[in-house]
Amino acid sequence: MNPRFIRNFSIVAHIDHGKSTLADQLLLKTGTITAREFRDQILDDLDVERERGITVKARAVAIHYRHQGEVYELNLVDTPGHVDFHYEVSRSLAACEGALLLVDAFQGVQAQTVANAYAAINANLVIIPCLNKIDLPVTRTEEVLDEIETVLGLDRRDVLRVSGKAGLGIDDVFLALIERIPPPHGEVDAPLRALVFDSKYDNFRGVLIYVRVMEGAIEPGLKIRFMKTGTQHEVLEVGQFRPNNVKCDRLTAGQVGYVIAGIKQLGNVHVGDTVTSALRPAAQPLPGYHPPQQMVFCGMYPIEATDFEKLREELQKLSLNDASFSYTPETSDALGFGFRCGFLGMLHMEIIQQRLEKEAQIDLIQTAPNVTYELLMLDGQVLRVDNPQDVPASGGLKEFREPVVRVNFILPAECIGPIMQLCEDRRGVYKSTEFLGPTRAQIVYELPLAEVIYDMHDKLKSVTRGYGTMDYEIIGFRAADLVKLDILVKGNKVDALATIVHRSQAERRGRNLCKRLKGEISKHQFEIALQAAIGSRIIARETISAMRKNVTAKCYGGDITRKRKLWAKQREGKKRLKQFGEVEIPQKAFLSVLETGDD
Amino acid sequence: MTTTFPEPRAAYIHVPFCAHRCGYCDFTLVAGKDHLIGEYLNALDRELQTLQTPREIDTLFLGGGTPTHLSTSELQRLLVLLSRWFILAPGYEFSVEANPAGFDDDKIKLLTHHGVNRVSLGAQAFDLQTLRLLERDHIAETIVDAATRVRRRIANFSLDLIFGVPHQTLAAWRETLRRSIELQPAHISTYGLTYEKGTAFWSRRHHGVVNPLTDDVERAMYAAAMDELPAAGFDQYELSNFARPGGCCRHNRVYWAGGPYFGFGPGAARYIGGRRETNHRSVTTWLHRVFTGRSPIGEAEQLAPEDRAREALVLGLRRAEGVSRRDFLKLTGYVLDDLATPAIRRHVATGLLEDTETGIRLTHKGKFFADSVIIDFL
Ligand SMILES: Nc1nc2c(ncn2[C@@H]2O[C@H](COP(=O)(O)OP(=O)(O)OP(=O)(O)O)[C@@H](O)[C@H]2O)c(=O)[nH]1
Ligand code: SF4
Ligand SMILES: [Mg+2]
Repeated sequence: MNPRFIRNFSIVAHIDHGKSTLADQLLLKTGTITAREFRDQILDDLDVERERGITVKARAVAIHYRHQGEVYELNLVDTPGHVDFHYEVSRSLAACEGALLLVDAFQGVQAQTVANAYAAINANLVIIPCLNKIDLPVTRTEEVLDEIETVLGLDRRDVLRVSGKAGLGIDDVFLALIERIPPPHGEVDAPLRALVFDSKYDNFRGVLIYVRVMEGAIEPGLKIRFMKTGTQHEVLEVGQFRPNNVKCDRLTAGQVGYVIAGIKQLGNVHVGDTVTSALRPAAQPLPGYHPPQQMVFCGMYPIEATDFEKLREELQKLSLNDASFSYTPETSDALGFGFRCGFLGMLHMEIIQQRLEKEAQIDLIQTAPNVTYELLMLDGQVLRVDNPQDVPASGGLKEFREPVVRVNFILPAECIGPIMQLCEDRRGVYKSTEFLGPTRAQIVYELPLAEVIYDMHDKLKSVTRGYGTMDYEIIGFRAADLVKLDILVKGNKVDALATIVHRSQAERRGRNLCKRLKGEISKHQFEIALQAAIGSRIIARETISAMRKNVTAKCYGGDITRKRKLWAKQREGKKRLKQFGEVEIPQKAFLSVLETGDD
Repeated sequence: MTTTFPEPRAAYIHVPFCAHRCGYCDFTLVAGKDHLIGEYLNALDRELQTLQTPREIDTLFLGGGTPTHLSTSELQRLLVLLSRWFILAPGYEFSVEANPAGFDDDKIKLLTHHGVNRVSLGAQAFDLQTLRLLERDHIAETIVDAATRVRRRIANFSLDLIFGVPHQTLAAWRETLRRSIELQPAHISTYGLTYEKGTAFWSRRHHGVVNPLTDDVERAMYAAAMDELPAAGFDQYELSNFARPGGCCRHNRVYWAGGPYFGFGPGAARYIGGRRETNHRSVTTWLHRVFTGRSPIGEAEQLAPEDRAREALVLGLRRAEGVSRRDFLKLTGYVLDDLATPAIRRHVATGLLEDTETGIRLTHKGKFFADSVIIDFL
C-alpha cells in the first residue's frame, strides 16, 4: 500500500461525547459494515462495554474511502473516554498522525476533552476538532467554540459541525481526514519497525499482536524479533481489522493490523515494544511508552479456603486479556490466603470484580481499596507498600509518603466555592483558576490520590448537579503525616481492616469506622468490643451487645417449606461471613472501611 | 439408595374464615366474607374427591382461620364431609382450633358427636391490654368460660398463648401463664410474636407506630414459660409446645418427625411421596382453581434425599428429645455424623448443643438460640 493513500487517526473526547457513535457512521458510510450488520456502538463488543454503554478498550478499524478517484485506507482508533482507561488513549495516539477531537455541542469542553487534546498535541498529532451532536435540540454552539479557542488554543474556523447519530457533516469529516492529516512518512524499503500498541489472547491462535508499521513491511514467513525482550518468532499470519480480523498478504509502512506468530503467552509480548526483522534488524527501537500505572489495590480472598487455586486460575485467565491489572499472592491473619490486586481505577476494579464473580462463581471477600505508599526508612531504604498491613508497626520509619495527583476540574462558575472547600477539606493545594467563558471555569488542585480516587468524582457530580467533570494525573510522592489505623475486634487486631489515614483525620475516621462496623457485624452470643487504635493507643470504641435469643417460636402448621425458607435465608446471610476468632465478620464490613460518606 | 414413602396417616384441613383479621396474623383467611363459606365447602368437597378412596388416618387436624367461626349447620356439613373421606383408626386424635368467643355448647356438642377429641383454644393472653393490642374479640372471662365448658366434654384441650407483644410486661405474661395453668389444660403452646410482612403490625412497626419489645424482655418471657410450665407438670416437648404426660399433639409430632400428611383447603400444606406442596394461599384463587378443575397447588418442591435428611434433622432438633443417630439413619438413610460433624462440633463447643452419643439435642441455653444452631445444619 502506498503510504500517500493512508491516514491514521484516533477519535478522542470526553466520556459519552459520541466517539463510538461517530465510528459507527464512518464504518457505515464506507460500507465496512452493511446496514444489516449495524448496531449502535458496534465496536463496543465486550460484555462490559455493552452492559455499561461505555468504551473500555481502544479498537482499531481499517476503512476504505474513495476520494477524487483514489481509494484511501483510513485506520481509525475508537478510544475510551473514561479516566481509568486513559492509557488506552495515549498508546492509540502513538500509532496515529491525527486525532478527531469531539466536543459535545451542549456539554462543551470537559475535563477529559482537555486531557485528551493535550495528549494529542504532545504526541505531535494534527487535531481535527468537531462540534458533535449538533442535532441536539439545545446546543451552546458559540460558547463551546469560545471554549475550544480559549482552553485548547484551536481556531474556531477549523471546527467541523457533526452529528454521529444523525449522520450530519460526515463527508466533511472524511475530507478533513484526507486533507489535513499528513500521510505516514515511513519508507517501505527500510528495515522493519512496527510499534506494538496492544495485544489480545485468542484461545485457538494464541497471542494476536496489534501493530502499527512505521517502516518496512511484515508478512507471513518473516522472522521477527522483539527489540526489547529479544525473543524471536516466525510470522504465521498478518491481517487488518475490518472490523473483524481479515487476513492480508502483508502490512507495509503506515498500516495498522495484527500479527500472529505462534506466541502462547500474553506475558511474552510487551505493549510499546518494537517488532523488527531478525535478519535485517533496525538500528533503534521506537520510543514506546510507559506501562499503565495501577492506582488502587485491594485484597481478594475466597471465602472457602479451598477456592484459592481456582481463584488463581481465574485471575490468570482474566489477566490474559487485560494486562493492566496485576495480582500477587498474599496472606492475611484474618482472611487466609488471597491475592493483592492492582487496578487503574475504581471502575476498572469494579469491572474485574464483576467478571470474577460472574465467570468464576467464587464467593469473594474483598478488602477496601487503597493506594500505594512509599516508606523512607531510617537506613535510607525506600519501601513501596500497597497493603496497609505491610506498614511496619513502629520505629525505623523516617518518612511516610503518599501519591499526589494534579486534578483538573471543569465546572459551572457558581460551584467554584463548594469545590474549593471540598479540596481544602481533603488536604488539597490550590494551583490555578481559568475561566472558559462567562459561566464555566477550570480549577486545578494538587491532592493526595487517596483523597481523590475513591469518591471525589461522586462528590463532584453531586456538588455540581452533574455539570462538573474532572481529570487527574500522578505527579509524584510527597511526605505526609500518615498513620496506620488498626481495628481490633474483641481484642484482636484484624489486619484486613487496617487503613492508612492522615493523623489529623484519624480520630474521626476511627470513630466512624467503629460505628459502621457495629452496623455491619451482627450480634453474637457474647459482647463484642470494636476498637480503633494507632499503635497501642485506642482512639475509639463501640460495643456490640450480646444476642439474647434467636428462635422462631411460631408454628406455621404443616408449612415446613416456608419455615425452611426462612432458615435458608438466615443461612444465606451467613454465607459471606468470615470466621475471625469467635467473631463472624460479613464481607461488607471489609468494604465499610472505604465509605467516606458524609462522616 | 431407594426410599419408599409410606402413605400419610395424618390429614390437615384448612378453614380460612375469621370474624376479623387480627393485626399480627398472616394466615390464609378471609375476614367478613362469610358468604363464601358455602362455596368453600363445595370446593373442599371437590378437592377431597382427589383422594378417590376413603383413607384410614391416625390424626386429623382442623385449623384456620377459625373453624368454629362456621355456623353450626356449616360446621356440621364440614364434619360430615370429612367423615366420608377419613376413617379414624382406633386411638386416633382429631383436633380442632377454636376461638373462645362464640364457642357455644351446641358447637362443642356437635364436634364431640363427630369424634373430635382435642381442642386448641386461641386464648393468646389474659390481660386486657394485650388482648386489645392483639385485636382479639374476647376477654379473660371468655377464655375461662369456654375452657370450663370444653373441659366437661373434651379433657384433652390446649391453650395457645402469645408473648412478646408490644407493651406486654413480664408480670402480665407470668400472670397469663399462671391463669392458663389454673385452667388445667393438657397442653399449652407459647408463640413469640413475629412481625410478618403484609400484616398491619409489620407496617406499624415499619412506621414506628409500635415498638417491638427488647431482646432482653422477650428472652425473659420465653425463659419464664420454660421455668413455670415444667414446674406445673408441663414438659417442653418442642420449642414452643408444652404438655402434661400424654398431652402431646400427635398431629404436630408428625410434622416434626418428617412424616407424611395430607392437606386440603387454601394454603394447606401436604407432604406425600417426598414432595412438599402448598395450596395457593389466596382463598379466591384456590376456589377458582378447584372449580375449574385445575390444580390448587401454589408451590411444590421435590426434596433430594440429602435435603430431606437435613430437613428432618433441623425439625427434629426442635424437639426435646432431639435427633437420635439410630432413628435418623432409619428415617433418612444417612449417617448423622456424615452430614453434620462440623456443625455438631461447633455447637457443642458453644454450649448450645449436647451430644449424648445416642443422639444430639439442644441444651437449655441452646433453646434460646435454636435458629442459630439450625441454620448450620441446613
Ligand atoms: N443526539 C445525539 N446523541 C448522540 C450523538 N452521538 C452519540 N450520542 C449519544 O451519546 C451517548 C454516548 O455515545 P457513545 O458513542 O457511546 O459515546 P462515547 O464517546 O463512545 O463514550 P465512551 O466510549 O464511553 O467514552 C449515546 O447515548 C449516544 O446515543 C449525536 O450525534 N447526537
Ligand atoms: S383469629 Fe387467629 S386466624 Fe383468625 S385472624 Fe386472628 S389470629 Fe388469625
Ligand atoms: Mg465509546
